[in-house]
Amino acid sequence: MEDLLRLGLRAALASGIVYADVRVYAPERSEHLSVRNGKAGALAHAVRSGVGVRVRTDRSWGFATTSDLAPRSVREAAALARRVARAAARSARGPLAVTSETGPSDGEYRSDVRTDPFDVPRERKMALLIEAERRLHVDPAVKSGIASFNAWSEEKWFASSEGASYRSRICHVGAGLSATAIRGTEVQRRSGPTSFGGDFHQAGWEFIEGLRLTETAERIGRESVGLLDAPTAPTGPTTVVLDSDQLALQVHESVGHAVELDRILAMEAGYAGTSWVGEKDLGQLTYGSPAMEVVADATEPGGLGSFGWDDEGVPARRVPIVHEGRLVGALSSRETARREGWERSGGAMRASSYDRTPLIRMTNVDLQPGELSFDELLEGVDEGIFLSTNRSWSIDDRRLNFQFGTEVGRRIVRGELGALLRNPIYSGMTPEFWRSLDAVGNRSTWHLWGVPNCGKGQPGQVARVGHGAPAGRFRAVQVRGG
Amino acid sequence: MAATAPDAGRVLDRLFDRIPAGTAADARLLDQRWTTIRFANSYIHQPHVERERSLTLRVGLDGRFGWATTTATDPAALDALVREATSMARVAPPEKKFPGFRRSDGPVRPVVFSRATAELRPEAAAEFVRRVIASADRASPGARVSGVLNVGDRRLRVRNTAGLDRADRRSLAQSSVLVERPERDPPVSGWTETADWDVRRMSPEALGREAAERVAPAAPRPVPPGEYRVLLGGSAVAEMMGILGYLGFSAQSFEEGWSCLRSKVGRRIGDARVHVVDDARDPASLPQALDWEGSRKRATPLIEHGIARGPVTDLVSAGRLGRGPTTGHALPGDVGPQPEHQVMAAGDASAEELIRETRRGILVTRFWYVRVVHPGHSTITGMTRDGTYLIERGEVVGPARNLRFTQSILETVAHVRLLGRERRRYSDERGSGAVTCPALVADRFHFTSATLF
Repeated sequence: MEDLLRLGLRAALASGIVYADVRVYAPERSEHLSVRNGKAGALAHAVRSGVGVRVRTDRSWGFATTSDLAPRSVREAAALARRVARAAARSARGPLAVTSETGPSDGEYRSDVRTDPFDVPRERKMALLIEAERRLHVDPAVKSGIASFNAWSEEKWFASSEGASYRSRICHVGAGLSATAIRGTEVQRRSGPTSFGGDFHQAGWEFIEGLRLTETAERIGRESVGLLDAPTAPTGPTTVVLDSDQLALQVHESVGHAVELDRILAMEAGYAGTSWVGEKDLGQLTYGSPAMEVVADATEPGGLGSFGWDDEGVPARRVPIVHEGRLVGALSSRETARREGWERSGGAMRASSYDRTPLIRMTNVDLQPGELSFDELLEGVDEGIFLSTNRSWSIDDRRLNFQFGTEVGRRIVRGELGALLRNPIYSGMTPEFWRSLDAVGNRSTWHLWGVPNCGKGQPGQVARVGHGAPAGRFRAVQVRGG
Repeated sequence: MAATAPDAGRVLDRLFDRIPAGTAADARLLDQRWTTIRFANSYIHQPHVERERSLTLRVGLDGRFGWATTTATDPAALDALVREATSMARVAPPEKKFPGFRRSDGPVRPVVFSRATAELRPEAAAEFVRRVIASADRASPGARVSGVLNVGDRRLRVRNTAGLDRADRRSLAQSSVLVERPERDPPVSGWTETADWDVRRMSPEALGREAAERVAPAAPRPVPPGEYRVLLGGSAVAEMMGILGYLGFSAQSFEEGWSCLRSKVGRRIGDARVHVVDDARDPASLPQALDWEGSRKRATPLIEHGIARGPVTDLVSAGRLGRGPTTGHALPGDVGPQPEHQVMAAGDASAEELIRETRRGILVTRFWYVRVVHPGHSTITGMTRDGTYLIERGEVVGPARNLRFTQSILETVAHVRLLGRERRRYSDERGSGAVTCPALVADRFHFTSATLF
């Protein structure tokens, strides 16, 4: 692969090209197994290999890619990257500059994997899924059960014309269950460990064993049926305690995306949108209450957003984002950091594969734990609602107005959890919501979640990112039953 | 240009030589070339050229199916592909009602194809974008212009052990343009988008000018949430119908019982003027001759003059649902068959008549971040974006701040009052999920909150 990297760099560097980097993925593997109502979902294995060549003139970027590792194809990709960069330069409004970085020299990063998930016999994986899915069907009202497993591994080689080079092998795994109970037009879903495929980690098969899918399946099935008869969540402002999995999504949507510097600089205006955060807000803005402490940590063990170096060769970093409620940082690249006058990039440039250009993406954007146990969070609530496991999520293109639905709510009365509530929805505006955070759960309520489906970019890229989050308590939140 | 790459037949020959006699299998070789030119802040910031070949094999062992994909086609990669798909099939639950791979029922020809689109040089794509930006800037000097142009082609060849061997090719050009005046408080913006199978039928000057001319001259004002009559622009209608495709017409939603239409098929759900057919062979769509199994794409009524029809199927789901032959809607992945070429009949109203008939209501250019709140009720939520206007006394009186809606799609279908006479194609960046539709006016649309811009 080193020969291919050198060949790609040589082919990319020509008159007018001031920088080039080459990423070779050889290979990238994925395995997806799912059982739906005792039948096969997609049982699929994929092996993809390819090369992405990125170049820079003094005014523009260019990027080209090929799935063919033959030297001729890599040279063609490099030539296409040069051509499209020169064509783009004609529209440039000014010079293009990046931060100076000391990249790795022959670096190596490997996920901490005890049992390679691709080495586990498929019979064993399917036996687990078939049994767990079977146990979801605790009642005839459970019309749909899904058990799924996913694994990805990525062997990547990187080299740049500045002399940086590294190799990484990253493995991500995850699994989950979902039961859908139906009566008439009422459709209720309950998932575990959380929705949209379950929980994910940078780990091996040992993480899947720790999810205890078969042991939790019957409870999930029962709760889906219980929701059919549960009262609809009440309407009005109330105190809300968000479970860790829902608070992780809240961080993702209303903090993580809002502090991407490419959005702030309007580089994503035509698709993902911009941000309610402006350039002048960095270091100034009161984002939330003093209880709010957020970091973007690409060094966090086990996180889907952890790596050795990003796809520009910048070392993984822990970047403070919100400190005591004040915005202190943002997710950045070499180009955007330079625009802000910063000395260094935050190291958040990630590409979903060889065939996509790196973009500013979340790493592990975590809400730090506070002091209170879960019971102590509830004790501060005379009347309120506990919300768990996302069902729907939507937020405007500046990340202000949001509306999230959860699979389940529970009434809180005088500090005690009460009966199930169905179809809860809460909504608000990002700054008011985070400023209403009055207590954060401690480490016992905190969990590092893996989110495998973060979309951004054109052509589309799906990133796997991490979010550590505790439970949290918010006052005067608008809630209603859907 | 041949329908498939020159060596496609040889690659598939080498693959099928490795499949043991008596094993059922199908395979598809996909060659794609794409150029994507993204622009923001009125310059090109992310130009991208992509070339990929992938080969996907499905092996069937006594009704058990496994899938495997590779981007390499050397002998070792083909051996591994057969090994992985076979290993998957061995552990799969049996598909008892699978009707078997289909024999060929005759050749299938591509409906339309534009060589000029498939072979557009990156320099020409960048020049297209420069002309978009210049046109927008002429119409709204100093505005911030953003967007994308996607252009390219995909060539698909599908072969199976029952003797089917077919090829298809598609060309696509798709573009969207956003023009903003961020100096206004709150900012105002104008939007347009379109897709075609022939880039020569898309005018960069018209795209830039249209988006710029939709930028309102005044700052948007707050409008109270509530129930309104709406004039939904084509982009908004396409987004809504795309989601109804999944919630109402997908095979999986019928198999698992959560389709919002499962008890409504054959019943009236809207006015007789509401007529939607999923027709991949209609040149008004983005034509495609074959599905992922090599089956002929068949026109499938979804809403037939107001009556609910569907669902769409592939081989597996047609067997499970007992619905006879596939409708030709097989897709990669595990979401199952869905409508991908919806064509909605146009009405007879001009753009001016649509506004006049709305009388008092909200004009929505496009929706954003739409998600399902309740599948059984087809309830969705999302935001308006890039051009929301208040209509009073049958005239557009000014821009409104963006609103959140929470609304049943079926209720909107039931409350359609008027359909526009102009239709446009909408699709994602690679031609999936195409919807050809007009703007429409509907009653009783629920806006549930507002944002600050």
